[in-house]
Amino acid sequence: MPNLGPFFVTGLAVGAIYALSGVGLVVLYRASGVLNFAYGAIGATGALLAWQLVELGQPELVAWLVGVGLATLLSVGYGRVLAPQLAYRDTVVKAVATLGFALVLLGFTRWYWSDDPRKLVLPTDTMGLSMIGVRVTGTRLIGFSLAVLITIGVALFLNRTRLGLSMRALANNRDLSALLGIRVLHVETWAWLISGVLAGLSGLMLGDLVRLDAIVLTFLVIPAMAAAVVGRLRSLTGTLIGGLLIGVLEAVGTPFQTISPYRSVAPFIVAIIVILWLQRQRVITFAGRE
Amino acid sequence: MVPGSLKQDTTAQGQPVTSWPTAAVSLGNVAAIAVPLILLALILPAVLNAFWLRALTSSAIFALAAAGVALLYGRLGLVSLAQIALLGVGSWVTLRLAHATGLPFELVLLGGGIAAGLVGLVVGLPALRMRGLYLALITLMAAGGFQVIVGGTGFPDGGPGFLGRVDSAAARQLMARPVIAQSDSAYFRYVLVVAALGFLLVALHRRTRPGRAWALIRKSEACALSAGVNVTLYKTWAFTLAGFLAGIAGGLLAGSVGQLDGRNFPASDSILLFALTVVGGAYSGLGPAITGLLFRAFPSLLTAWNVDGNLAFIVFGAALLHALITAPAGVAGQLSDLVDGLRQRLKRQKEPGQ
Repeated sequence: MPNLGPFFVTGLAVGAIYALSGVGLVVLYRASGVLNFAYGAIGATGALLAWQLVELGQPELVAWLVGVGLATLLSVGYGRVLAPQLAYRDTVVKAVATLGFALVLLGFTRWYWSDDPRKLVLPTDTMGLSMIGVRVTGTRLIGFSLAVLITIGVALFLNRTRLGLSMRALANNRDLSALLGIRVLHVETWAWLISGVLAGLSGLMLGDLVRLDAIVLTFLVIPAMAAAVVGRLRSLTGTLIGGLLIGVLEAVGTPFQTISPYRSVAPFIVAIIVILWLQRQRVITFAGRE
Repeated sequence: MVPGSLKQDTTAQGQPVTSWPTAAVSLGNVAAIAVPLILLALILPAVLNAFWLRALTSSAIFALAAAGVALLYGRLGLVSLAQIALLGVGSWVTLRLAHATGLPFELVLLGGGIAAGLVGLVVGLPALRMRGLYLALITLMAAGGFQVIVGGTGFPDGGPGFLGRVDSAAARQLMARPVIAQSDSAYFRYVLVVAALGFLLVALHRRTRPGRAWALIRKSEACALSAGVNVTLYKTWAFTLAGFLAGIAGGLLAGSVGQLDGRNFPASDSILLFALTVVGGAYSGLGPAITGLLFRAFPSLLTAWNVDGNLAFIVFGAALLHALITAPAGVAGQLSDLVDGLRQRLKRQKEPGQ
């Protein structure tokens, strides 16, 4: 039996970022009804811009801030300009539309930054400490704590603030909320903004922990979605648990020869099982209702 | 269900559904498809070079796969993001059957189609309970899982028998093409004919009982149930048919290339094929044909013009957004609107006195 400690820690760190992305997806989905397939692409664009700025000799802090800023701008831009035009369509159509945005971003990043291998190095990579006999780098530590803190923060925000209340109201019933005088577009813009910041942060972290590659980062939205599915696209705690579970399952398979090539199937299996479990009692569905 | 009771029902684009006693596919419609197709099959191989012939063969193959996606999205409003994975299943089964049994191409092709149809049925089973977002997600997860498993096993490719595997690409045996279509141009014609048969199969379904059942299910499953439609049967049928089309397309792809690679069927291609199905138009027969061209011929065009192929993604993404926001019937819908407009204008010019 190989020592699973290091893989467990790696898994927790990556899983925490999946959870962080998942939280961004859930906040947006609850408030606006859009499941954002472009989430990974938005994060990738931000991370690549940050990398570019560092290469050009800008201070690193500025580069990261600008990277996260670009991600936020892209998210809010889509949310303000394109998303409202689809506000009254089926949830699945809204989700498919974000695929279009993802394709545009993916095409742009691959064209502008080509496919050369590159590395995003955060200074926290060299820092670190030892825990349960395993060396944990600062990035992993920060990633993990950031995910937990942000999940708690977002949960508090949704439960304790006026804006959070409006978001929950929108999630419940858009039309009624609008009748009650909730400024739908305003609240939605905030949701796109929060989700954009989270996309930028997770893009940077995953660019460091996994690989700084437009395609890889764009499609890391799939494990993030799997995490969100574990939380039924509603619960933040569920999303956090789902993300960590997927990250750990994926990583602990690494030292085993027979499982190793298949370990990245973890998010898909988890998501499929959860979806089937959630829908187990439904027999027929009525058009228009999800 | 009383025959003809759905006479008043209309499909998504407002065209009346043909009533029960009408012939399934009229002779005129068949001719309208067959004549240009025969012309294409005769002229294109003569004027095109090998590069373009291959691109168009590939386009026809993916058009057939897109017909399955369009069937599910256009008829039932279901989003399936696993079509390329199903195409992969059909491809592998066809290839393995060909190497193991040496049966005629048509039979192994059919085998690949049936295998993919069965897998499609299994993937579609969750659809009996869900639609919309969760169905899209579960098919996407299935496609992702398929990609990982195929990548992990490497899959048997060019060796002998059912599970023969050769690691170096040079040592792989190539799969035999059909006896009547050994050359590239003959194979192109062969693919065109098979794809046309596949499109015909879909058209036949649309105009008969399954088409009407699908139209009703799309509106409301409760209504369909109360009208006596066997919802389970027809939904499963649609998924099986879509899988079958993907499988046939996969078999044709295997025959075209002769060997396969596990990396040929990523989940991202399933997503792209769905996106382009919406762009091409999911409601008409022309739509999937346009989708096939966009999927394979358009990138070739960029290569030929020395333009960065990644720009294709930008065009596709913008086209998808455009289609969803302003042109739900896709390029095919816009083309037919254009033709209708011209026809109207001609009519008006012909009858100036009235």
